[in-house]
Amino acid sequence: MMQQGKSSSSGSEMQVTWEDQQNINTFSRLNNRFHELEDDIKFAKEKCDNLEDAGNELILSDEEMVRFQIGEVFAHMPREEVETKIEEMKEATCKSLEKLQQEKESIVSQMAELKKVLYAKFKDSINLEED
Amino acid sequence: MSSSSPSGSGGDLSERRGIPAAKFIQDVETYLSQSSLDSNSALAFHQESEVFCPVILLFRLQQYKVVEMKLLAQQRDLQVYFSPPLCRLVPFCDEASLVAKIPDIEKCLEVVGTLEARKGTGEALLADFEVSEGIYSRACIEDTDSVCLWLGANVMLEYSCEEATALLKNNLENAKASLEVLVADLQFLRDQVTVTQVTIARIYNYDVQQRRVKQVAPTAITAADS
Repeated sequence: MMQQGKSSSSGSEMQVTWEDQQNINTFSRLNNRFHELEDDIKFAKEKCDNLEDAGNELILSDEEMVRFQIGEVFAHMPREEVETKIEEMKEATCKSLEKLQQEKESIVSQMAELKKVLYAKFKDSINLEED
Repeated sequence: MSSSSPSGSGGDLSERRGIPAAKFIQDVETYLSQSSLDSNSALAFHQESEVFCPVILLFRLQQYKVVEMKLLAQQRDLQVYFSPPLCRLVPFCDEASLVAKIPDIEKCLEVVGTLEARKGTGEALLADFEVSEGIYSRACIEDTDSVCLWLGANVMLEYSCEEATALLKNNLENAKASLEVLVADLQFLRDQVTVTQVTIARIYNYDVQQRRVKQVAPTAITAADS
């Protein structure tokens, strides 16, 4: 998490302008969003892997009726239907995973920009690294 | 209690849904003299960050943390999947469970959608559902036009499939809208926490600087004398 560093031994008299404050706030927001995204991406990846495994299991098994979970219940459905559903779910999850990763990359670059600006102004007086 | 919004920053709120905005201080010296605080008086030791800072700022920071905890709990409430077995009798429920969680609503929509899709075919749907933990039973769901929806508070109503879908979609929209508002509140809150923390740091730095100046001044005078 971002910390506010104490002034270094030079006793800097750096003034913090409203613009600086807004940059710091934006950085803080981006950092929070970044952590949320990491969790979301992990969750989406797991879901994608589970669907992949389910698809493979389905191919290996030779039962005609498969119990597919819809909401709370397991509905008996013919194999092809289940295959189609799993494909659809996989596609949707992969697409959302891609979107999340894109957002994460954009946030990382925005944070790098802000770091440059803030470090340029405050040098040692600010700490923008993770704990 | 609500502070005025900072100058030159058009469009900022002075408070949001009861959360007061943190006032941005342009100049530390002016602020301290205006509030008639000097480096020594009315400062308290803040355990966490180990700095001396005005009591009012510390108090504000604590208030913000309390509100943040509450909002985070509400957010978790909306987003976490809470899964009761189908036949469980829900005791007289509190407000939290009246607002169905987003994943729950989505699952209900999925089931109703499946039932609707099967309507034309005329074949029964076999479903295995959980009676109690670890115990499942089979249900044969005939082709039907209506579903029953659990509305909470021991109330269940029968709806046609279309009405049920419409109701569930409406609930989902509302829940998602609440979540959005909640997320915006949290962002606003975090900004205020950041502003307050930066203010505390600046006051501390100013304090350090003042002490340093005071220390140098006597030595400068003695050097000039000798």
